[in-house]
Amino acid sequence: MQRAQVLGVKGLVKRYGDHTVVDDVSFHIGAGETYGLLGPNGAGKTTIISMVSGLIPADTGSIEVAGSAMTPASTRLKSHIGLVPQELAIYPDLTAKENLQFFGRLQGLSGRDLKARTGEVLDLIGLADRAGEQTKKFSGGMKRRLNIGIGLLHRPALLILDEPTVGVDPQSRNSILESVEALATEGMAVLYTTHYMEEAERLCDRIAIIDEGRIQAEGTRGELVELTGGVDRIDLHGSGNTGAAASALRRLPGVKHVDGGASGLTLTVHNGPGLLAPVVAEAGGAGMALSSVEIVRPDLESVFLHLTGKALRD
Amino acid sequence: MKSILGIAVVEVRLFLRDRSNIFFVFIFPLLLILLLGSQFGANSGQARVVLSGGSGTELAKVLSEQLKEDGVQVSSAGAGAARDQLSRGRADVGIFISDDDSAAFASGQPADLEVLTASQSAAQAVLQEVRASVQAVSTERRQQSLLESAGVGATEAATALKQAKESVQQPQVVLVDTNDVTQVFQGLGRFDLGAAQQLLLFVFLSSLTGAATMIKARRLGVIARVMAGPVASWQALAGQALGRFGIAAVQGGYIMLGTALLFGVDWGNPLLAGLVLAFFCAVSAAAAMVIGSLMDNDAAASGVGVGLGLVLAGLGGSMVPPEFFSETLQAVSRVTPHRWAYDAFAYIQRHDGTLADILPQLGVLAAMALALLALGSFLLQRSLGRAL
Repeated sequence: MQRAQVLGVKGLVKRYGDHTVVDDVSFHIGAGETYGLLGPNGAGKTTIISMVSGLIPADTGSIEVAGSAMTPASTRLKSHIGLVPQELAIYPDLTAKENLQFFGRLQGLSGRDLKARTGEVLDLIGLADRAGEQTKKFSGGMKRRLNIGIGLLHRPALLILDEPTVGVDPQSRNSILESVEALATEGMAVLYTTHYMEEAERLCDRIAIIDEGRIQAEGTRGELVELTGGVDRIDLHGSGNTGAAASALRRLPGVKHVDGGASGLTLTVHNGPGLLAPVVAEAGGAGMALSSVEIVRPDLESVFLHLTGKALRD
Repeated sequence: MKSILGIAVVEVRLFLRDRSNIFFVFIFPLLLILLLGSQFGANSGQARVVLSGGSGTELAKVLSEQLKEDGVQVSSAGAGAARDQLSRGRADVGIFISDDDSAAFASGQPADLEVLTASQSAAQAVLQEVRASVQAVSTERRQQSLLESAGVGATEAATALKQAKESVQQPQVVLVDTNDVTQVFQGLGRFDLGAAQQLLLFVFLSSLTGAATMIKARRLGVIARVMAGPVASWQALAGQALGRFGIAAVQGGYIMLGTALLFGVDWGNPLLAGLVLAFFCAVSAAAAMVIGSLMDNDAAASGVGVGLGLVLAGLGGSMVPPEFFSETLQAVSRVTPHRWAYDAFAYIQRHDGTLADILPQLGVLAAMALALLALGSFLLQRSLGRAL
C-alpha cells in the first residue's frame, strides 16, 4: 500500500567551511512509517534533523514537509513537526505540566484543548502523578519521556526523535521504544536517529545507514542484510587437530571461508543453522574437540562494517 | 503575540521561582533603603537639637518648650549618646546643660551653655535657630526677674509676660540656607533619595543577573526548541526582550510600591514616576539582552551582571548622590542610564516636575534602550546561530 508522503528530502548538502557535514542526502517518509537514520556520532544525523526542522538552512537541496517546501522561514509549516532534540530541552525549574503548557501554547494550543492535551500526554508518558513537580527533581528517564511528550503535544504529522534514548536506563528505554511503536501505528510519520543498532532494527520500517554525511545504504532490515551477501558466521571453539578440521570443513558444501588457529575456527557460510550439524560432525571427525559452537547471523552492525569498513561504535 | 507573551511570562516566572531572589530582590533592597534612610536620610529640613543634662530642671524645661515652639525637633540623651548623634549626623546641634547652669538660671544669674554643632552644613543654620531660641528664653527670664525685683509677684509677672507675648506679633526668623547642596535636596523625605537610588541600582542589577536564565535556556536547547515550533525568530527575540522588561518592572514596581507603603516615600506624580521607571526598565532589559547574548556561561554572566551593575550604579549616582560628584565625574555619570533616570526622579520628587521637564531624560533613556535592544537582538540572533 502506498503511504502518503509526509517528508521528502532531496539532495541535501550542508558545509561548514571546507568540511561537508551532510553530502547529497535524499530520503522520504510516509504516514505511519518509522524511518531510521543509523550511524555513529558525528555522522551528520543531527545536522540533517536541524535542516528538516527548519532550524538551519541547507546549502543546497530541498525539503518538503506535508507537500510544502520547508526553510527556516517556514514558520507555519513547523507546526506539522514535533521535534524531540537529543538534549533535554525542558525548563528544570518548571513543573512537567508547566513545561507542556508552555510549549503547547507556542504550538497554538490554548484553553480546554491545551488542558485536555496536556493531560493526555502526561498519561501517555506516565508522568500524570508527577505533573506538579519541578523537572529538576526527575530521573533521567522521566526527563526523556517529558522531552518526547513535548514533541507529541500538538499531534504533529512528523515526529523527529534525535537519539531519544541516550543516557537512559534499560527500563525507561523500553518504555520509550514502546511509545514510538505505538505512535507509528497511529499514523504518525517518525524520523528516528540512533547509533544503537537494536533500536533501529526494532522500530524502523526502513533504515538509512549514514556515515561521514552520506547515506551509504537504505532499505528494510532484510534488504540491508542482503548487502552483506546474506552469509552467517559459525564460531567453533575447542582444541585438538584444528588444522585437519579446517581442511575438512573447507571441502564441505556451503562453507565459503574458514579462518582460525589452535583455539578455534571461524567459518563464513550460507544458511548457518542448516549447516550446523554437518559442520560439528566434520570438525569432530577430523580430530577437533569442541568446547562451544556459536552461530552469528548478520545484523546492521555487520552491514555497517561491510559498507564502511569500521564498527558502528567507532 | 501569544508566543511573545508566553515566552515573556515564563522568563518572569523563572525569575520569581529562583529562591535566591527572595532575599536579593524582595528583602535586601528594602533593608538597604531603611538603613540608608535612617543613617543618612535628610529630615525634611527640620532642625534637630539634642538636649543633654539638666533633666527635670527649669532651664531644660523652658529651653525645650521654646525650641519646640520655634519648630525645632528636640530630643534628650546622655552626654555620650548626644555626642554620638552629632558625630553621626543624626542631630544638628547639641546643648549640654550642667548643674551649675541649671542653678544659675533658677537664681536669675547668667548661665553659660555648652553648645556643639554637627559637621553637616545645615548645622550652622540650625545653630542660628538655637541662638534665637536661647535668646528668647533669656529675654523672658530677664523680664521676669526685672518685674519681680520691681515688686510684682512671680505669678502675676508670668501672667503679664504671657499676655504681652500673645498680644504682639512675634518676630519670626526665617533661615535661608545658601548652601547649593542643601538646596538641591530640599523637599526630600528621609527615605526619598535612598529609595530612588536603590530602585535604579536594583532594577538594573536584577535585569543583568536575570540574563543568566536566557543563557541557561539557550544552553539547555530550549530556545532552539522554541524556534523549531511555529515561532518566528523575531517573536522569540521579542519574547526574550519582553521577559527581561518584565523582570525589571517587577523589581522596580515592588521597590516603588513597597517604599511608598512602608517608608512613606514620596515618588511625586505617580504617572510620571511610573513612566521614568518604564523607560529605565527598557534600558535594563536591553542591557540584559546584550549580556545574555554575549556570554555562554550563566554563572559567569551573573558575576559580570553584578559587577557591571554596581559600577554603573556607582557612576550613575545610585550610591553617592551625583550632586557631590566632581565636574569630570558628573560628565562621566551621564554615560549611564542611572544618571538620567536619577535626574528625572529628582525633578518629579523635589520640584513637582512635569512631563515637559523630564522629556530630555526620557528621550535619552529611550535612545539608550533602542540602541541596546538593536545590539542585543543582533547578538542574540548570532548566539542562537552558534547554539543551533
